Parts: sequence; structure tokens; C-alpha cells
Amino acid sequence: MYSATMQMLGRPFANIPPKARQALGLVTLAVVLLLFPYFHNNDADIASMANAGAYVALALGLNIVVGFAGLLDLGYAAFFAIGVYYYGVFTAYQVMPVWSSGWAPLAAVGLVEKINQGGPDLVHFTLSFWLALPTAALVTSFFGVCFGAPTLRLRGDYLAIVTLGFGEIVPIVFRNSDSITNGAAGLNGVASPSIFGFDFGVDATPYYYVGLFLVALLIYVSIRLRDGRVGRAWMAIREDETAASTMGVNLVNYKLLAFAIGAGFAGMTGVYYVAILQTATPDMFNFNVSAMLLVMVVLGGMGSVWGVVVGAFLLQIMQSWLLPDLNWMLHSIGELVGSVWLQNVDMVKSTQLIFGVILVFMMLFRRDGLIPATRKTPPLDMIQQAAQVQRGGFVGMEKIGRWEQRSGNALEVKDVTVRFGGLTALDRVNIVVPEGGVVAVIGPNGSGKSTLFNVITGLVPADGGSILFQGAELLGLAPHTILEKGVARTFQNIRLFPNLTVLENVLIGQHARLKTGPLGAVLMSPAGAAEEKRARQWAVDIIGLFGNRLAPRLAQTVLGLSYANRRRVEIARALASRPKILLLDEPTAGMNPNETLELAEQIKSLHDLGLTILLIEHKLDVVTRLAQNVVVLDHGEKIAEGPADVVRQDEEVLRAYLGRAGREHVAAVHAKAAETTVAEGTGDA
Amino acid sequence: MTVYDLALQQLINGVSLGSMYALLALGFTLVYGILELINFSHFNVFMVGSFVAFYVLEGFGVVGQNTIMTGLPLVGVLLAALAVTMLVTGGIGIGIERFLLRPLRSVKGPAAMILTIGVSYVLFNIIVLGAGADSKNFPNPLPPIAFTFGEVVLRMREILIWIISLVLMGGLTYFVGYTKLGKAMRATAQDPEAARMMGIEVDRVIMMAFFLGSALAGAGGMIFGLYYNYTSFMIGFSAGLRAFTAAVLGGIGNVPGAMLGGMLIGLIEAFSGAFIATAWTDVIIFSLLVLVLVFRPNGLLGRMAPDKS
Amino acid sequence: MLLQMACPAASLPGTDNDNKGEQHMITRRSTFKAAAGVAAAAALGLPQHALAADKILKVGNDNSFTGADAQAAVRIANAVHMAFDEANADNAVPGYKWVVENFDDATATAGQYDPAQGAINARKMVSDPSIVAALGPSMSGVGKAMSPILSMGDLAIITMASTNPDITDPKFARQYRPKGKAIYFRTVTTDAYQGPNMANYMIEVLKAKSIYILDDSGAYGVGMADAFEAQAKKKGCNIMGRDRLDPKAADYTAVLTKIKALNPDALYYGGVGQAGTKLAKQAYDIIPKMIKAGGDGMVSADVLQGAGFPAVQGWYATQASPHVAGSSDPKVVAFTKKYFDTYKMYPDDYSITAYDAALAIIASAKKVNAEGKPVTRSAIRDMLEKIEVPSLQGLVSFDANGDIKDHTVSVFQIEKDDKFPLNDPGKQYAYRGVAPQS
Repeated sequence: MYSATMQMLGRPFANIPPKARQALGLVTLAVVLLLFPYFHNNDADIASMANAGAYVALALGLNIVVGFAGLLDLGYAAFFAIGVYYYGVFTAYQVMPVWSSGWAPLAAVGLVEKINQGGPDLVHFTLSFWLALPTAALVTSFFGVCFGAPTLRLRGDYLAIVTLGFGEIVPIVFRNSDSITNGAAGLNGVASPSIFGFDFGVDATPYYYVGLFLVALLIYVSIRLRDGRVGRAWMAIREDETAASTMGVNLVNYKLLAFAIGAGFAGMTGVYYVAILQTATPDMFNFNVSAMLLVMVVLGGMGSVWGVVVGAFLLQIMQSWLLPDLNWMLHSIGELVGSVWLQNVDMVKSTQLIFGVILVFMMLFRRDGLIPATRKTPPLDMIQQAAQVQRGGFVGMEKIGRWEQRSGNALEVKDVTVRFGGLTALDRVNIVVPEGGVVAVIGPNGSGKSTLFNVITGLVPADGGSILFQGAELLGLAPHTILEKGVARTFQNIRLFPNLTVLENVLIGQHARLKTGPLGAVLMSPAGAAEEKRARQWAVDIIGLFGNRLAPRLAQTVLGLSYANRRRVEIARALASRPKILLLDEPTAGMNPNETLELAEQIKSLHDLGLTILLIEHKLDVVTRLAQNVVVLDHGEKIAEGPADVVRQDEEVLRAYLGRAGREHVAAVHAKAAETTVAEGTGDA
Repeated sequence: MTVYDLALQQLINGVSLGSMYALLALGFTLVYGILELINFSHFNVFMVGSFVAFYVLEGFGVVGQNTIMTGLPLVGVLLAALAVTMLVTGGIGIGIERFLLRPLRSVKGPAAMILTIGVSYVLFNIIVLGAGADSKNFPNPLPPIAFTFGEVVLRMREILIWIISLVLMGGLTYFVGYTKLGKAMRATAQDPEAARMMGIEVDRVIMMAFFLGSALAGAGGMIFGLYYNYTSFMIGFSAGLRAFTAAVLGGIGNVPGAMLGGMLIGLIEAFSGAFIATAWTDVIIFSLLVLVLVFRPNGLLGRMAPDKS
Repeated sequence: MLLQMACPAASLPGTDNDNKGEQHMITRRSTFKAAAGVAAAAALGLPQHALAADKILKVGNDNSFTGADAQAAVRIANAVHMAFDEANADNAVPGYKWVVENFDDATATAGQYDPAQGAINARKMVSDPSIVAALGPSMSGVGKAMSPILSMGDLAIITMASTNPDITDPKFARQYRPKGKAIYFRTVTTDAYQGPNMANYMIEVLKAKSIYILDDSGAYGVGMADAFEAQAKKKGCNIMGRDRLDPKAADYTAVLTKIKALNPDALYYGGVGQAGTKLAKQAYDIIPKMIKAGGDGMVSADVLQGAGFPAVQGWYATQASPHVAGSSDPKVVAFTKKYFDTYKMYPDDYSITAYDAALAIIASAKKVNAEGKPVTRSAIRDMLEKIEVPSLQGLVSFDANGDIKDHTVSVFQIEKDDKFPLNDPGKQYAYRGVAPQS
């Protein structure tokens, strides 16, 4: 019903293309907001709006940390406080060293002035608001990195508690540093901004416009970051850290970046906030503020820029307008109908209760918030859904070109040992993958196959041995560096980024091959834009390889895809990173025979293009079809190696798979069942 | 009072404070051990517990500081109040688990933790709106008996707190270590899937963890009231945060670790207050938390369960 | 809750829109009203008619009605409403009717008082032309945010409780009263007197030679303790230490045990009841015999109730006004009785200072009216500087900065009086005299 109504309402605009509709909406919103002080000339309401602007800006910053990067920060108000005190201390009459001629250069550029309050001449800091705004972002970013660095190694929930601790410590430090901050009594006389000789004073309207500008700026920055390489990397971390790192995302750097940028937003907002208020006390930054900002982000939708804006605005307005008005209306009605109870209802007192209930309800029933970050795409129609089994490998392979032909060995695993406590998962394993070759690793569950992949891609440290990739040592490198060198992988239990679309997943695969940083994204450098365009084209080309299996589903979240399609997306994501070697961990697991055949031929066509492949596979027909060489692992040891047909007959291998008793039986069946699946299972941890 | 007297007195203070934190930390640890969830509602379950005890004691006619009881009546009233408090808060814990957290169990990410923050706010405001924002004069039926060693004073209430905490912690250790349900709990903490396959009713185990944790928080709340003769809607946050720090310090998910951590935080608070300055106590405690997490992320005694990632 | 029941005037905000010549202005509430439907509109109609005969003089009363300070705010608001109800009944300013509008400066986001909300309230008051004067706030942090805005709007405010001296200090005139004229008036003296005078009292009268000082981390508490410390040092008293309590923490035994070990003659605490209650309890256990004193933050029902006897017995406390509540002064006796009869609770001294602040506004308006001038904000502000108001504290008048001229600091000691409710601050504090001024 709801959507039907929306459709009806939307009908007059249906003919306008979506882009133009969005632009029209934005322009209308901008005009309304710009004119607001003129048609509603009420200083208090304008101030409420300016105040709400500060909270919207803060929520946008928290959204970077919590919503984009998935780092639960419960002490965000600390950065707000740092921004407030940065501007506050350098403009208020608080820290006033004795004047000496050394200050003269600073006075000349307007950073300080000489004042006299009786006694010796003193230095009064007069940091310009306009200078403070950007520099506060830098200063708080610095603190963001300082607080973030020691904590980012921690798991998400620990991070929450540590940030909470920082949130408590920072106001205490400000409170206890009386000589700098005037302690608990609060700053006196923080300067109001002025521009071209016009002093903002206490009139709310100019602040409102600054707030509007600030919010617009932060929305812009948020969107630019979200839609580019940086935002995708954050979201990859949020969705699955391990997968993100194996796809080339430097976890530490990007988490710190999220912390720094989030903190920077708070710092700028702090400057703005204290300029309106012209005073500040350490009490203003308690846990409540951090928690309420979280409520705002959660209400609007974690990771959703517009959602967060709406969430923060709604809650702020609810506090300062809606509830008092509702209160007053209820009392009026109560008076009319003579209900003492109605006259005594106090909605304002219950604001926090309402906030708490909002949190609970949103988490239970609408975790994506009012305006979810990922829109639901309409389901595919029957034609789009109908996918035929394709034979003969990939379509449109010409678009991805051939791999460079090299000679020698691509990957050399030498005497690699991995132990987990007392358990030896890999025991001096040696494997060689020649350039352009396909090597398969087989073995029963728990034989160490996935551990082998994990040690190659840097997820598990080795206890000995060496892994050379094109002659360079991989051991000791971080997963993202290993990907950069050209080693890409898939996971046995599929590790996609579930809440991102097919396209986004594949774009993240290209992370290491792109360069655009946060600054480039925000400034929309032509090089960055061109790069992004190329990246999207490349992703579409890669996805196109799978024909209409994936192409119609570009904009769908992978969460809703079939199992087989998720496997395909994972392979596409790995291919997107332009690997020199592809590590496939049971790529056909869970596929039906037809799909298996289809994928096997597609892998074959990759091999034909010259890609080197290391494959874990249980289905021997696939192995036979693809691999020139098969390595058999059992209990972490290599028990056999050779061409598929040879290995199949190997006594050791049969024993490992079936034990002695089953050997004769298998030998009997063997001849006629060439395509027997020897072992199928998914529990290889 | 010599420095040694001062230190000894602070030891007494710190141990009393520590037993309270330990009881509260156990609740964090039980839930975290099994669900890997930081349960923020625990903060205010503790606070609600002290209000429940407050009203129960007043219901028994113990009001303010003027109703002194001795002998069996005292023991009876205290036990009854403790039982009621623990049952009520345990029930709240079960309610939170059953109706709010269970639907979220399969949801990844911080949703469940955020939900517990919401629950915490709701509990907090129910008390503010229902019981008022003023400080409560918590009933104190204990006779003013005190032992003095030089200038060091050991009061009846401290001994009582130690006894209650020891009994409860001993009971919990026994429960977790030797009973069937307790073993099931440990198994679930190790690997919920395997536990389920082995026929353990994981839902029941989780519910039990919430019940026990919340009941212990309730006991902590009552002890808080008896110790300080005071309670207020504000007490949850500060005590909860320190107790959580204690749980992390000892190794979250680790029952003896929570007890050790609680004691350590209590002692640190007592000694830093006496020998440094209370103004910096919070900074010291949280800096310690950060240091522990950075250099020994699994806490002093390590985790009960291996990392599930 | 009590507040709303007690003062019908409080439920009338919004009625001003149609009375005044401001129809051109679309206010949020008028838009709201249109949307609110018939019921609300009808509800509005009723009181409007009743008031249509007289012109409305509105007074904004800002306080922290949510959170930990709500109780104190209600006691203050009751007194304010009582004063204006009386003025209406007596027709104190002929042709005018007083209406009080309450403003809450506490927000859920802050979880307590919030200077930003105070600033918004100040703007609301300034932009409502029917508001001619304001009362409040209790928190200096809020006062600092409100003062410059009120100064620009020429709207005088009288605080009954905020005591931080910076706001009225001429040194900060440019910040807190950019228009120059005094705007922030007080019917209490500032910390600049309360702390130091009590230091004098403790050293001269109580003969304390060594003192340990605590504060509660709040603006008020720290300011008071700082001023106390400075004066005590000046008088050569041995300050054995200074520490800060976290009002959210529960346990102060650590610092109290330390104080016990140092064994000073006295303990001075600057702060409000939130930490004070716990401090009194625990101090009774650890340092029962030591002289313990606080400021006016220790004069409250919450302290009496929360800490209770015997823990609070013997505590000294001060009040930044001449002692009147509970005195035999017939005016005060009548006030207390009426207050109790109306609101079923006892007034504390801030109820008195609030009542006096309201009286000052009423008296100014009355005099302006008597001089034949229209009762406007600026007229009231100008009058406040000149007027001498007979009040419960005696004659109240203000200096050029807005501070009350009388700097009397009264000293009390908690002394159990079984004849009265044990949580009645009017009865359980025994008057000990005036603290010597420096």
C-alpha cells in the first residue's frame, strides 16, 4: 500500500529521469534551507536549526567511523570536545602569557593581540574562525590517529569499550587542566567569527548559514568518499575484514583514515559549535552525547549519508520543537477535557526514554535505519532470471586480454610448516606452480588445504619454510601486500561483502590497482574521475564474462544471490584485481553438475588466456579436466604428486581418502565410474 | 595514621569495592564468553537491582539508618532481600535475552550491542521517572559493629560484603565447573555449533548465562546499597564501566579472570585515590584498560574460549 | 509533574501569538496549531478569552527541569509561580496580567543541563516580544551562554542560584554583556564571597588551622573551592590537600581515608548534593569527628534525604544570602506556610531567592507603570538597576554589574530536629550567624 501511494505521488515526476529528479530535489531543499531565515524570522528557531546543524555534522562524522568503516566508536564526543577547546582556548581570555616582542610576528598576521588588563601587557590569542575551521580538522584528525593507532588491532567490540574510555578521559583532562581551559567553570568569551569586518555577534542567522555550509560540505565529502575507492575499502572492512585484506585493503591505514576523517568532522563541528555558544564546559561532552549521536546514526541508517542527516535532524528537532509542543498540546487538551493525567504528562522528561526505545526498536525491526544505505533493487523478471548453462568457457574474453607469458615457476612453496598449538596443520609442504600452469590440491577434510591457501595469502603465519612468488618471498607480508604482488584468492566458505552490490564487490577487487585517495575523491580530480570510470568498465567487463548469470544483477546485494552466483562473484572479484596467480578454494562446491561443468570450462578458458591457477577441488572430474599436476595432502603432509590419472591410482591417496577397507571396493568401481566424486564436504576448517 | 595503616585501610576498602566490581564483571564475562556480546544493559540491571533491594528492604520495614537488626531476623531479612533482588534482576536478564536479543542472535555486526545500549537507557529512565531523580537513603539494618586495629577500621558491612561475594562467586565457580548445565555453558562458549550438535540446548544455556549474570548484578546492586547506604539512578554507568574494565583486565570470558580483574580495579581505585588523586582515578583506570588491550588483548588470565573469528 | 499541576500559567505558552500584534509572523507553534486540529484549537480558545481583558506580561523562567537537578528546579519554579500568581491576584501592575513560561535548559542529548539549550531558550525569550523579563538559570554554564544573547535583546534576567562570578565580572563585560548595561542580575551573592567568607568563618570562628579541600568537578563546586582555598591560604591556614570527586563515581572512601591519615582540623567541600550526599555518608564512617563544611550546595532536601541522619549531623553549610527561611520573620513564616500548603513540599533557600527575584521584577514593572511609561523590557531592565525591593531577604538592590549589593553569607549547621520532617531544609539547618567578610 505504502509503495502504491508513493508511486501515485511520484507520478507527476515519473517522466523526469532519476538523476534530474534528484538534482531537482536537492535544489529545492537548498532553496528552502537558504530562505528559511527569511520566511521564518524567529531567532530561537533559527538557533535551533543551527544547533541541529551541529548535530547533523557530528552524526555525519560518526557515520564515517561507524557506518562506513564499521568501527563502533562510543567516545566520539571526545573529538568534538577537542575541536571545541582548540578554538575556545585560542580565542577566549584564558591562556594569556606575558607579552614579549617574540609575539610580534604572530600579531602581525592576526593570530594574537596585545592587551592590557592592568599589570604587564599580555598576549591574547585571536585565532580566526575561518582558519580554525580547517586547522581544527587537522588537529582532531591527529588525535583521531593517536587514539586509533593503539586500539585498531582490537576486535570491534573491544574497540567500542576503549573508545568509551577515551571519551571519558578527554573531558576529565580538560577539567583538570584549569590553567588552560579554565577547568570546570568553562571558557569565558570565546570570540564570535567575523568576516569582512562584519561580526557575527549573537544573532543566530549568520551561524545558521555557516552551519548550513558546514553540513553541505560534510555531506559532499561523505558522498564523494562513499562512492569512490576509499569508501568501498571502508565498507569492505565493515563487511569482512579478512576478505578486505586479501583483496588488497590495508586494514590499519584505512581504519586510521576513517578515525582521522571522522574526528576531523567532529573537530570542525566543535569550532562551529563553540563559536555559537561562546562558552564551553567539560560537562558538555559526556557519554550521553556520544550515545545520542549513535542513536542518530542508527535511526537514520548506518552508512547512509542522507539517512544520518535525517536521523540527526529528526532527533534534534524532536527534542527542541516536537516534544515541547506535543507537551503543550497535551496539556491544553487535558485542560479542556479536565483530565489531570493529561495535564501532567511530561513528554520532555521522557526524551531519553524515547531515544532508548528508538534504539531497541530500530535494532529489532529496522536495522537498516529510516533511509537504508543500500536500496532494495527490484527483483529480476523471468527473462532476466532465465540463465542457460553455457558451454565453451567465458563470453567476451577478448575484453580482458591475455596474460603476459613468462617462463619458470610462478609460485614455489618450500618446506612450509604451520602449527596451531600442538597441531601441525602443514608439515614441510613443497609445491611448485609453473607459470601459466594449473595445479590442483586435493586431500580429505582437515588435510591442510585451506591452511595452505591461508599461509600463501598471509592470513596465517608460517612456522618455517619459504614461499616464493615470481622469485620474491611472500612470508611475512601482509595479506594486502600479497594481493598487490598479484596473488588473489577465493574462499572455500565464500567471503563476499554481503551488504554490497555485485558491482561494488568486484570494484573492491580492484582496490590495489587504483590510486585515488581521499583528497582526490573529495576534490574530484580529473585523473580520479577517469580512473573510477575505467574501474567501473573493467568491473562490468569481468562480470560480463559470466554472461547473464551476473550481468542483470549488477546492482543487487550479494546477500540475495544464489550460492553458485556468489561463487561466481567471488571469482570475478579476484579476477578484477588483475592477478598473476589465482587461488581457487573449492570453486565448484555446492554447484550442480551442469553448473560445475560450466565453471570448469570457464576456469579452463582463463588458463587458456595464460593465467596461472592453484586450485583446491574435491570433484575429481574437475581436477582431471583442468590440472596438469595434482598435489595430495593428508594430515598436513604431501603424500602424493603427479598427473591426475596417476594420483588416482596411488595407494596412499586411496588410503587417505577411504581407509584400507574401502580400497578394494573402490578399485572395483573405479573403472566404470570415471567421474566419481571421491569426497564431497564442506567442513574443511 | 601511618602510611602502613593507610595502605591497610585502603586494602580493606579496595577489596570491598573489588568484590562488588567482580560480581558485576562476572555478568559481562558470562554473556561475552558465550555470545561475544558486550551487554551494556548490564550497567543498569545493576542499578535496578539496588533499587529492587531498596524497596524490598523498605517493605520489610527497614527504613533509613535507624532500623538496626541483629541475629536471625537480620540474616532472614538480608537473605530474603537478596533472593528477591536476584530473582527480579535475573528475570529482567532473561526477558532481555528472550525477547530482545534472541531475535538478533543471527545478525552480524554491532546490532545487538547497540540494542543493549538502548535497553540500558530504557531501564535508566524507567527508574528516573518511576523512583525519582533524587539520591536514596538506602536502608541499613546492620548493627554498627567494627573491629579496629590501631587506626584501621574493619566494619561489619565490609565483612558481610566479602561473605556474600565469596559465597556467590564460589557458587558460580562450582556451577560452571561441576554441574551439567555449567559444563554445557562452557561447551557452548567454546563452540556453540558443536555444542548444539552434541545435544546441548544452546538457548537454555544462553538464557541461564543471562539469568546468572543479571542475578549477580542484582546482588552487586544490593551490596552497593548496603555498603554505601545510598543508591541513585546514576550508579550504573560508572560502576558498570569499571566492572567491564575488570572483566577485560582479567580476560573476558574467563570466570576467575573476572574476579581477579574486579579485585584489581577495586584496589587500583582505592590506592590511586589515596596516593595519587581521585581526580585522575578514571584516567588511570582507562589508561590501564588501553594498555592491557594493546599488550595483552586476552587479559591477564586469557580467554576461556578460543577466538572465534 | 508537581510543577505542572501547581502552576496553570505554565501550561499556557503559545497563547501570546494572537494577543500581540505579530500576526504577520508565522511562528512554529501557530503552524502547529493549524495542524493540531479542532481539539487543540478549542483548548487554546479557552484561556485566551479569560486573559483577553488585560495585557499580558510574560516572564521566562529557565531552569534544568530534566535530570538530576529537576527537583531543585521545581522548588524554584514553584516559588516563581507563587510570586506571579500573587501579583495577578493583587493586581500589582494595573492593566497587566503576568504569565510565566518555563524553559527547560536540560536536554536528553546532554543528559543534564545543556548550555546550548540555554542559549536557544534565551533566543526564544528574546524573540518573544511579550516576554519582558526572565528568571534563572541555576547553572553558571548555562548563564554564560545566555547572557550575551539576553544583553543584545535587552532582556534582563535574574538568577536565583548561579554563583560563578565571571558572568558579572566587569573584566568580561565585553563577552557577557556586549551592549554594556548590566543584564545578569542576581539575588544571591557570587562564589567570590561565599567561599572566602566561609574560609574566614572556619578559621576565625571554628578555629580550624588545617583544612583539606574537595570539590565535585562541577563549575560551581570548583569555583567555590578555588575561592575558598585562595582566602584560606591568605589567612595562613594550612591547606593539607585538594582533590576532586567524580560525581558519577560511588566510592570516596579512598580519598576520605587519605584525609583521615592527614588528620586536618576540617574538611571543606565545594559542590552540589550529587557528590555531597555520598561524601556526607562516607565521611560519617571514616572521619566522624572532623569539622565538615560545604557551600549552599549542601543545603538541600536531597542531601538531608539521601545522606540522612546521622550522617549529615554537624555539617556546616552556607547560604549566599541573609538568613531568612525558617526564621521568625512573619513574612517568611507566611511564605513558607503558603508554599507548603500549595505545593506539599518545603521551600529551600533558593525558593526564597527565586521568590525575591520575582518580586524584583514585579516591583520594577509596577514602578515603571506608576511612572506612566509602558512596561517594556528595557524599562524593566533600567528600573532593576535603581530599585530597592523589600523582599524576604530584606531590601534587595543591585550594583552596576547586576550583583546583589548585600554580600551576606549565612552559616548553618545541620542539627536534627525531630519535630519537623527530617528532609525539610528549612528546619534541619540551624542558623549559626553571618560569616565574616573579608
